[in-house]
Amino acid sequence: MAITILPPVAEDLGPYQADSDESIGMDSDSDSDVEMTGSTRPHKRPRLHSKNIGTGIITPGEVVTDDPQWMRGHGTYTNPLSTSIIATVAGTVHKTNKLLSVHPIRARYTPEIGDLVVGRIVEVQSRRWKVDVAAPLLAQLPLSAINLPGGILRRRTSADELQIRTFFSEGDLVVAEVQSVHQDGSASLHTRSLKYGKLRNGVFLAVTGTGGSGTPNSSVKGGVGSGSSGAGAALGATTGTGGVVRSRRQVWTVSTANGGGDVNVILGVNGYIWISKHADGAAVASSTTENVSIIRMEEMVSSSIYSSQNDDIPPQTRREIARLAQCIQVLVQSGVPVDEHSVTSAYEASLQVDLEVGDDEDDEDEWRQEGREYLEGTKAQRVLELAMQDK
Amino acid sequence: MTDRRRINGPPGGTRPAVYASLLQSATGAADRAQRQRQPTDLRKIFLKTGLIPSASGSSYLEFEPSASLAAARANPKSLIPPSSALKLACTVHGPKPLPRSATFSPNLVLTTHVKYAPFAARRRKGHIRDASERDLGVHLETALRGAIIAERWPKSGLDITLTIIEAEDDRWWGDAPDSHDASWGMMNVLAGCITAASAALADAHIDCLDLVSGGVAALVSEDMTGSSGPPRLVLDTDPAEHRSIVSACVVAYMPARDEITELWLKGDSSKAALEDDDKRPGHEALIDGAVDAARGAHTVLGQAVRESIARTVGSA
Amino acid sequence: MAAQRQASSASQTPHLSPAELSYLYTSLSLPKTPIRPDGRSTTQFRPLTAESNILPGTNGSARIGFADGTQAVVGVKAEVEKTTVAADTLDARGLFQQQESPAAAAGDREAQEGLGSAAVSGHGSWVQMSIEIPGFRDDDALPVFLSEMLRESLVGAVSGSGGEDMAGGLKGRLVINKRWHWRLYIDVLLLSQPLSYPLPLLSLTTHLALLSTKLPKLKSQGEEDPLFDDDWAAAQYLYPRSAPGSTAPVTTSQQVRPPVTLLVISVADNVIFDPTREEIAVADAVLAISVARDGGHDGLKLLSIRTIDPPSRLTQPGVPNSENVNMLANATSVDDSAAGGATAVNLATGDEEVSGVWRPRRGGAKRSVLARMVKTVLRKGGVGEEVLEGLEGVEVE
Repeated sequence: MAITILPPVAEDLGPYQADSDESIGMDSDSDSDVEMTGSTRPHKRPRLHSKNIGTGIITPGEVVTDDPQWMRGHGTYTNPLSTSIIATVAGTVHKTNKLLSVHPIRARYTPEIGDLVVGRIVEVQSRRWKVDVAAPLLAQLPLSAINLPGGILRRRTSADELQIRTFFSEGDLVVAEVQSVHQDGSASLHTRSLKYGKLRNGVFLAVTGTGGSGTPNSSVKGGVGSGSSGAGAALGATTGTGGVVRSRRQVWTVSTANGGGDVNVILGVNGYIWISKHADGAAVASSTTENVSIIRMEEMVSSSIYSSQNDDIPPQTRREIARLAQCIQVLVQSGVPVDEHSVTSAYEASLQVDLEVGDDEDDEDEWRQEGREYLEGTKAQRVLELAMQDK
Repeated sequence: MTDRRRINGPPGGTRPAVYASLLQSATGAADRAQRQRQPTDLRKIFLKTGLIPSASGSSYLEFEPSASLAAARANPKSLIPPSSALKLACTVHGPKPLPRSATFSPNLVLTTHVKYAPFAARRRKGHIRDASERDLGVHLETALRGAIIAERWPKSGLDITLTIIEAEDDRWWGDAPDSHDASWGMMNVLAGCITAASAALADAHIDCLDLVSGGVAALVSEDMTGSSGPPRLVLDTDPAEHRSIVSACVVAYMPARDEITELWLKGDSSKAALEDDDKRPGHEALIDGAVDAARGAHTVLGQAVRESIARTVGSA
Repeated sequence: MAAQRQASSASQTPHLSPAELSYLYTSLSLPKTPIRPDGRSTTQFRPLTAESNILPGTNGSARIGFADGTQAVVGVKAEVEKTTVAADTLDARGLFQQQESPAAAAGDREAQEGLGSAAVSGHGSWVQMSIEIPGFRDDDALPVFLSEMLRESLVGAVSGSGGEDMAGGLKGRLVINKRWHWRLYIDVLLLSQPLSYPLPLLSLTTHLALLSTKLPKLKSQGEEDPLFDDDWAAAQYLYPRSAPGSTAPVTTSQQVRPPVTLLVISVADNVIFDPTREEIAVADAVLAISVARDGGHDGLKLLSIRTIDPPSRLTQPGVPNSENVNMLANATSVDDSAAGGATAVNLATGDEEVSGVWRPRRGGAKRSVLARMVKTVLRKGGVGEEVLEGLEGVEVE
């Protein structure tokens, strides 16, 4: 069938379903239409005069505490006439010693020093680029913060300024590190490492990045679709948060099945993801000259950092890259945090599902088989279940 | 589409007086214009470039009025002209630098404006561009963008303005407005716009892959005698000459590359009556017909551009 | 200015890097089994959720949502209006006779005097369509272009033969009698800025809304001033359907459905349906094809085709390594090994291309390509039929 049209289903209501211990199976969304009439809506408990600090979810304007011993942190404000601390965002209360802060349930990416980000050049100025990193403000990448081709170390001249578009131009994707964060919250990036630079040989994916201050509290932006809500119910057991989280490794290489070879995954902390064919720098080098020194090899690699020409990528690799991208989409749409572990387990689960499905559909006609790589609906749900089992 | 920034008059508007013709009522249908040309004959086109000195490129295009118009002028039976012919002017301004506020563009930024003169059609058009004019603008832009080599002019803009001085009728003036209320005349106008704009672009020395020309073909469901039958393919239709147009198609075509940059087909083309050995589906026959019409326009276009070059060389 | 530029081209083109464009194009142009970024097959649509009859204050309504969160809501409202005789219909009586005689008059002949046959076959302007897309002014090129495109196929060209016309075009159904007609307002609302070219979404939603549209049952007869049954339950569908409980079997010619407009792109030799924004960005040709079920016999009828400006013409070109100044510095070491790339002629465009380097598309589409795209839609048991079937499934819910 070329087109799938589903009846609308009530949206998943998140944490409150997580509390319920009903086992959620594949068919749980069939009766959810009936339940949607507000009975599962969170009840707001009056907390206005409680001495204790509110727990759970709190909304803007709610008094977190009126005990004067606490200091106010992010996401709160105080009325000058009283001692009470009032929330300004909806989220959960966090205590750090005597500091009270409210972490929003869903937040946009705020850059922090050392973050590995994937960004898109949106503007070229005379000495710097403006980069979209999904933050409220555009980040800047100064001309002085990039590697020159061949790794030459020298001052940037006006000649470099004139040919600034030959390094990065509008629309180009870069992987970079946040070097500093300015007063206004905008970031300054650098690409002074061989692992940073222009991206090619792959596909780009935008999901939600980490919220506020590194807590994995961000939630899904794109998870509105009801196609995913069935899957969303399946993770009742998980935390209900999603998007890319800060983790030990943001960049790793997957050796894919089905003859796909090695594939690099770059999870930008800002939620921008790049999945590409693993470029074997050493192989490139050794193909030209027999024995190369390490320094020479680095030169080789760095010479291609400003290339916008893709290598030859076999269809098998493209197929596995598409599969990885879908796995991440499935994770994001159902609110599972995206990190190395969840991505790899989802990838393996999708391979397993493919085997199962492949057996079922042997007698289907040909074009049906063509679309079998598309993960949606029940298939996505199955992938998710398997991936969560591994956890 | 209402204009929200101005206070508009009543939506109804006024209508010009229509004089009931004393001569006409007796004869009735006899006055209906008839196509005198063969189905594959095109109307003559007058096309001249470089008429507007202040523009970097310009052209003027006129279709030969149908035979019935000439006859009616010589021997008026009614005060109302039986059909109108297309007359339009095109100006090209640029390439010129983009405004400072514009974002960087590696390509030539093309903007097209199509505007009917208020007096172009039988019913007056307002000064604000209406939906059909904007629609034509989009079609024209699609047609031209495929022909222009945009990366030859980075960071610059090009404005193309078409003024339709006299528009083609959508139907015979005496027909009830419903006999086919689809705007078939608009398709002829678009074809004319494409050809004229192409000439103006050549006049402005903008790099193009080929001179792109517009052509129209239609399926009409009556033959010369007026009796209806299965729809036949007719090139370069004048809507005033046909009682019932079933389907029509306009293309922008580049003969050198045998490519279509713009295609707009509407109506039911499935019942076309083709030659017996012709196995093409109706819509393909229609597209091929429009391409043939565009080839015809292309010869005029090529000649006009050549003439304009010869003029400049001669005067230099 | 910038907004307008984007609006006129197929969608707000995302600024994709040349490397991404090249990767996408090569993936999508793989012969026979193109690899779409989301793994769909060429004819597969993104799953969508649909419901109709959601707004009680309208005559018909529908909502469709894509999994990416884009949603469209359509409300159809009908008003009774007096049919005015157009002033430019000269000598309507004389004309009327020749109008009526070949067309096997559908209405009664007693009230012919002084009326154009507009009263019989309806008029296209009785259907008003407006499309509201966040981020666009209502007179921007995109909404205007889209609404013209949808309206054009809805109103349909009906000048064929006899009673089939009445079934085919929407306008014929709006006639109440010689002096009165319905005016239909179709208002389309997109709830968020579109993530891809919104045409299929809008068209499918409009289709559903029209399917669910009901008009009050007429109590008066003939040429009386219209009087309607105020029982909403007795209202009749604008597009009659064969309800399971109904006694009178509906003839095939009455089982007409509103048209749908499908967005089709071609990349090299492949024809791809329901493209995402990224896929449109590399397309060689983009077509909007409107089809409807043929009243008489099985199969689909083509109603209109429009080309849409492929945004691939406006993209940034990639720089081949051999011309990259940043690589010339040590070109001696790289020379023509892995970085060189083979020059090949792209058959779809006829341009010379270095593999792996993006070149903006130039020129138009070959006739054979366009013909293939149309054929894929119209093919028996093809995508067009499946989409219509899928949509018919919705009304049963």
